[in-house]
Amino acid sequence: MIGFAKVFWLEIVSLVRSKTLVMLAVASVAWMFAAPFIAKGDGTADGAREMFVRYSLGGAFAILLVSLLAAATGSLARERAAKRLQLTMVRPVNHMLVALAKTAALTLSGASVLALCCILMPFAPGVGDGVLGRQCSHVLKPRLPSPRDEARDMYDAYMADPETPAAVKKAKKSVVLRLLENRAVDHYQTIATNDTVTWRFASAGTAAEAKGLAVRIRFTNQFDVRQDVRGELRIGPLSGVVSNITKAVVTVPLSRRAAEAGVAGAADGLSFSNKGSSALMLRPRKDIDLLVPADSFAWNLARAYLELVSILAIAVAFGVFLGASLGRPVALFVAIVTLVVGEISPSVIEQYPDELETSVADRIGLVLTRFAAEVTRPVAALQPLGRLASDECVEPGETARVVLLDFVAVPLALALLAGLVLPRKQDGL
Amino acid sequence: MNDSEDIVRLESVEKTFRDFWLRPTVKAVDGLSLSVRKGEVFGLLGPNGSGKSTTIKMILGLLSPSAGDVRLFGLPPRAIEARRKLGYLPELSYLHPFLTAKETLRYYAGLCGLKSAEAKERTTQLLEMVGLADVAGRPVGGFSKGMARRVSLASALVGRPELLVLDEPTSGLDPVSTKEVKTLVKALAANGMTVLTTSHLLADAEDICDRVMILDHGKSVAEGRVSELGTSLEDFFLAKVGDASEFRLAPFLG
Repeated sequence: MIGFAKVFWLEIVSLVRSKTLVMLAVASVAWMFAAPFIAKGDGTADGAREMFVRYSLGGAFAILLVSLLAAATGSLARERAAKRLQLTMVRPVNHMLVALAKTAALTLSGASVLALCCILMPFAPGVGDGVLGRQCSHVLKPRLPSPRDEARDMYDAYMADPETPAAVKKAKKSVVLRLLENRAVDHYQTIATNDTVTWRFASAGTAAEAKGLAVRIRFTNQFDVRQDVRGELRIGPLSGVVSNITKAVVTVPLSRRAAEAGVAGAADGLSFSNKGSSALMLRPRKDIDLLVPADSFAWNLARAYLELVSILAIAVAFGVFLGASLGRPVALFVAIVTLVVGEISPSVIEQYPDELETSVADRIGLVLTRFAAEVTRPVAALQPLGRLASDECVEPGETARVVLLDFVAVPLALALLAGLVLPRKQDGL
Repeated sequence: MNDSEDIVRLESVEKTFRDFWLRPTVKAVDGLSLSVRKGEVFGLLGPNGSGKSTTIKMILGLLSPSAGDVRLFGLPPRAIEARRKLGYLPELSYLHPFLTAKETLRYYAGLCGLKSAEAKERTTQLLEMVGLADVAGRPVGGFSKGMARRVSLASALVGRPELLVLDEPTSGLDPVSTKEVKTLVKALAANGMTVLTTSHLLADAEDICDRVMILDHGKSVAEGRVSELGTSLEDFFLAKVGDASEFRLAPFLG
């Protein structure tokens, strides 16, 4: 570990004495307190709180992410351009440790500023008093076959269907399966009047024993939400009444009314009886959530913080690696483009399904976008802020996985690569 | 002297720089072989563009040779064990402007693996040696060129190297400081340190070097002990490299 501590210390000293760290802290905290005056809520206290949590902390995080990514691309590239790096390279130091120390120092700086933002967030205007004590919920989804399995099951029937377009029949199996998988995610279930459907949930039996159990249903499809939507939900001895007039999303608290109803629902299943005057269409994978009480917002914030720091770590490690391999302007350009492509690729794929791949340019663009999405998904598909803002539990298991992968494994691998590239890049001196 | 006492050894080394498309642009070093023996002060001399700095960078492991073999203490130059015994003073002082002189030395002492107490003692000793003890707490970003050069020299010595590589060591120094550096190099060599230096200033090289090699267009054109040249180093150098100045300047001098 010779050299790690020294390079780490040097990077921290540079960030402090160049006032970079202070400027980052001021910009992030200033945004935290300015965001509530810029973002507008939906008029309700909960809506305002959700908005402010998302945009105050989210904005501060975005400032940190972009700034640290830019700083990371320069940490090695600028030192090499100033020829200071060669004085470190000729010392008995493992080059991987040099890259790792710089990654660690920049990540720690970002983590410090983010911690300050998290500590100050409850005091930001609009977030509301007592936010730290709010209860968050585990979100359980109905236990269904995976969209991929459903797509495989549908494949033969779909290809044999005379209504399937000829162009699709000529397409590769992998493309058709992807098409069917996308459809499976949005698979609708129709519930006729007076019909009852049951969705199974993992560990729902245990959940049914918990106090404060609730069900969240989204009516966000083409179904007209102003129509009469009425029904009853049951799980074990608990039940709740759904009565939706204007809201697109309703959260129904479940309570013990077994005596009144006379019958109990299945222990591991949530049943819904449609008591309205028309049929309902719901997407079970997207529209039905069982909300099981979890711990407080403060704990949720702590887990979200760890996930956000892990994202910073991976961005910094990537920036340092690019700085080891490329000149500063090119490294910065590649880093920003990768960040943008990583962020927008999921929505591009969603909005441009396979059917739209009609021209060569579209096909090439979508292949590249899909590749970027596949590569960045393990590290970019995190939405701790969205869950934090909507009082959904940032699951500890997922946080542990994110920390192991994004905070430890990937930065180590990138530092190793940077260490291999660094001495070869010196040839460009 | 036998091979085992060679601190630096280059055998038929070539270095060709290439452009983005990997097309060769310039052959900076062409079939160079040399050896620097333990305890000697070896001077690598030559006109601008003769390949001195490229050779030094290959010895330091900052550049890879295109062909041939470079050995430092019998090891590849990028081996950690080889770098542990190495001190390097670059042509210009590339210091971290936010650090003080004391912090700079302690930083490099740490990189060389010195323990905290030893690093502290070594830093104090070296700052006194280069005459910067009074300004040890000032950021080096505000230092004059000469002061920065002294900090760089102290940084090169902080790890108690066995081989000191000096690239134009007296560059930017006033006559008094130049004399101090030359005295220091002689003293280090007298204590058994091996020194490899490049210089444009032939008088300086003549004062401190035991043996010199003259490079021109990446090739060795002469090599020998300074005491055995039989003439001044400047005359020897011009005879080997060729004095084209009279021919080139004639049209302008009328």
